[in-house]
Amino acid sequence: MRSVILAPASASPLTRVQLVWLAVLILLAQLPLWPYVRWWIVVAGSGLVAARMLLPAQLQPPARLRRWLLPLLALVAGAAIGWDFGYLLARDPCVALLYVLVGIKFFEAKNSRDGAVLACLSLFLALTQFFYAQSIFAAALALPVVLVLGAALAALRYVSPPTQWRAPLAAATRMALQGIPLAALLFILFPRLAGPLWGAPADTGARSGLSDRMAPGSISELSLSDTVAFRVDFIGPPPPSAQRYWRGPVLSHFDGFEWSTLARLRAGSFSGPRGRPIEYTVTLEPHNRLWLFALEQPAALPRPASDDPLFIEGPVRPVAALSGDRQLIATAPVTQAIRYAQRSTLVDRFTASDSDRADNLQLPRRNPRTIAFARELRSRAASDRAFIAELLDWFRRESFVYTLAPPLLEGDTVDKFLFGARRGFCEHYAGAFVMLLRAAGIPARVVTGYQGGEINPNGGYMIVRDSDAHAWAEALIDGAWQRFDPTAAVAPSRVERGIGAALPQGEPVPYLARLEMTWLKSLRLHWDAVNYQWQRGVVGFNVDRQRDLLRDLGLENARPWQIVGLVAAVAFVWGVAILGLARARQAQGDPAAALWARLCRRLGRAGLPRRPEEGPLAYAERAAVRWPQWSEVLIRLAETYALLRYGPEDGMRGQRTAALRADITVLPRSRRLRAITACE
Amino acid sequence: MSTAANPRSWIASWRQRLWRIAPADPSVVVLRHRRIYILPTRRGLALIATLAIMLLTSMNYSLALGHAFTFLVAGLVAAALLQTYRNLAGIAVSPLAAGEAFAATRIAFTLSLANAGAARHAISVTPRAGQSIGVDLPAASTRQVQVTLLAPRRGRIDLGRVTLSTDFPLGLWRGWAYVHFPLTGIVYPAPEAPAPRLPPGLEGSDFRRSARASDAELAGLRDYHPGDPLNRIAWKAVARGAGWYTKQFEGTGGSGTLEFDWSELSGLGTEARLARLAAWILAAERGARAFSLRLPGTELPAGSGAGHRRAALTALALYPSE
Repeated sequence: MRSVILAPASASPLTRVQLVWLAVLILLAQLPLWPYVRWWIVVAGSGLVAARMLLPAQLQPPARLRRWLLPLLALVAGAAIGWDFGYLLARDPCVALLYVLVGIKFFEAKNSRDGAVLACLSLFLALTQFFYAQSIFAAALALPVVLVLGAALAALRYVSPPTQWRAPLAAATRMALQGIPLAALLFILFPRLAGPLWGAPADTGARSGLSDRMAPGSISELSLSDTVAFRVDFIGPPPPSAQRYWRGPVLSHFDGFEWSTLARLRAGSFSGPRGRPIEYTVTLEPHNRLWLFALEQPAALPRPASDDPLFIEGPVRPVAALSGDRQLIATAPVTQAIRYAQRSTLVDRFTASDSDRADNLQLPRRNPRTIAFARELRSRAASDRAFIAELLDWFRRESFVYTLAPPLLEGDTVDKFLFGARRGFCEHYAGAFVMLLRAAGIPARVVTGYQGGEINPNGGYMIVRDSDAHAWAEALIDGAWQRFDPTAAVAPSRVERGIGAALPQGEPVPYLARLEMTWLKSLRLHWDAVNYQWQRGVVGFNVDRQRDLLRDLGLENARPWQIVGLVAAVAFVWGVAILGLARARQAQGDPAAALWARLCRRLGRAGLPRRPEEGPLAYAERAAVRWPQWSEVLIRLAETYALLRYGPEDGMRGQRTAALRADITVLPRSRRLRAITACE
Repeated sequence: MSTAANPRSWIASWRQRLWRIAPADPSVVVLRHRRIYILPTRRGLALIATLAIMLLTSMNYSLALGHAFTFLVAGLVAAALLQTYRNLAGIAVSPLAAGEAFAATRIAFTLSLANAGAARHAISVTPRAGQSIGVDLPAASTRQVQVTLLAPRRGRIDLGRVTLSTDFPLGLWRGWAYVHFPLTGIVYPAPEAPAPRLPPGLEGSDFRRSARASDAELAGLRDYHPGDPLNRIAWKAVARGAGWYTKQFEGTGGSGTLEFDWSELSGLGTEARLARLAAWILAAERGARAFSLRLPGTELPAGSGAGHRRAALTALALYPSE
């Protein structure tokens, strides 16, 4: 049996074993943050831990210096982080500061009280990794922290030989496993908030994705990425690829080089021709921007996704508003993955508002050749529509090339593109097309978003990646906006089958956007399906999903105190079950001992506990005096047990154990035994 | 019911149940949930506070995995509570022996801790005014624990309430239970030092020889009994780990029987007389000489040996003070 020795009082210096456990705990908490904090933070915070563990004793700072080390180094670290970030009171610099502080505290830690402080600090540090990632991988990295925390706490309190590092870890694992039912219950029932408690978490981490500006090269750069932008579950069959235009930022302002959104957005309304509505649910990855994506023309505002599409309950929390140029603008930057249900109509025309005309004719005085060409072409065309058809035909006829690697152009970029290089990606075509229309006096604008998407055969949902990013054009004709896609004129397969089909051989198409189905791609799709389930079931478990779940459990009308009562009741049952399991496990060792212990418990409850020094026979004799009518059974029980326990190892064990069990069954329960005593 | 009708007795019974104020425990106490208290330690409170901050952070940033992580650690903390409870529950405590000691020394009480179940670790046994003793109880084992109290003055001394506590396994929760046995030890008067001359015996005194008793020849070893003088303990054997033995010396004492009489010590106060008598009794025993003791109201016929000495010292201990 492993003997446990109480560690000395909290003021005693940390032992080597305690230091090792703490170092492992701290490094496990720091490790997941490595990709997200500055490199010098990692070097300082983790380097101090390594220095304490690896430096020989004579190189360690002397004890009297240690007192000043923590405040001094903390001050230096705070100043350095403030200087690096330019501010201190926000999430990211605070995480960085905590990262370094844990290292400094470990470097100067003296006694086991410091050890307990370190355990708490590193626990919190381990939580901060979820600010940056909530993937399955991140969850897997957090699990060992829980186990090592248990082992470190045990090591801080109890001395165990350094060779027995498995035992505290095994004990912590057992306790963590025992705690899982309670943790799961709390995870499901603990009330979630719809919004933040204090100041909005507004740190805008840089994430690639669509932006509110478009310069030549910005979308082709995006197209090199396999990153998932959002995933879609369709109710009913998904529309064909050529109709899957996911509308994002609308760019109306052009400065001759770069397109950008209007500085002030007007409120919009749902109007225009009604088409066949299509319902779907979007799970949008966080992009730290305001816009949400919807197919073609949104027909209603998005609402929080519910598992039950028919379930609509009273006033729904607004997720987004509609702008005048038909963008869906979220109420807060999308910093977490969100799920929303959306309805769209698959039409490429919708009614314009009064101000649209003025907003979308602006043209800088550059690219004279393009302007001249447009005016000349328009003067020969009978109508705006004929002009646009002629223009698209011109794109189709001339030797334009759709490529991810266009030459770099300077100066009058549109002129040089249309009449020189003639090699470009969708942003070149959409930008040049809109400019030609504006030059001809037709209001037009660039729409960015995604086009296409891939159905994952594992799970039947659609994945839209950054490589599906696209830009197209909208023209105001006869009081309605009409979609035109000049890229489709140059490379029709782009909208039919995706970027992998449209680009010429040898172009750096991202792996997952290629057409051929290799085993690796199939594996990636399987993995994506697992991730999607994780995203929906665990990470996406928010106030709305919780309400759905409570409704499924029949608890939607439960008062808070009823929920608290339920948790308390389940926690009680849980505790009794764990303790009962422990008792059952220890009884498994020797059935005879377990049966004897049962008898002793029964007689003890009946008012005759066994004295610690009493052997089985003596105890049975004492009991026989108390309950003479059972004396025969009691004496026999004791004799059988003594034989089993202390007798020879013969073939009678099974038989004797059975006899023991039978006799105990014959004996009355403790309450009746007590009643018999009371009567006499 | 009588308890319901009388609120005072109802309150008293609850006070007794909560704090075990009166020494009313039976000869075996099995620690069960009715006796066991559990509260977080300072370390536990710090960790719970950390978990609360983590929960607030997870709520504010709506981190689903943050919630899961926090609750997982909370589950670990809750499981540690159960383990702390399990470490204490089911221990059968019984009083074994009350020791004897001279005033101003420590008096030992022996308790027996029986464990019928799985192993238990780091149980502290703490008397009300004394040092705590740590003990491990392997599976299905019984351990004797000696707790010591400082005996300030002669007379009877109660063991008082004893606390059994543990914060195993993680030091986050402290579980404890009170046991209060009616266990009373005897404190002898502190012997006068330096030891005064023995009074003359019935057949002539031989004080010089008895004074040399300390370097008398060793006759052998016997088992140690609580209360044996420290200088008689075979320390070498203890240091070897062979166990506790007391040295016995050859009867080198004089042949005469000593007579210790209260009334012959006139001119001294009560406590001074008792101290003198105690010193004499020890000296007589050291010299292996028979002695008789006469106190007002008590008379011990001549005799020798440990039992006689104990009876004599007990008579001194319980002599009514002024």
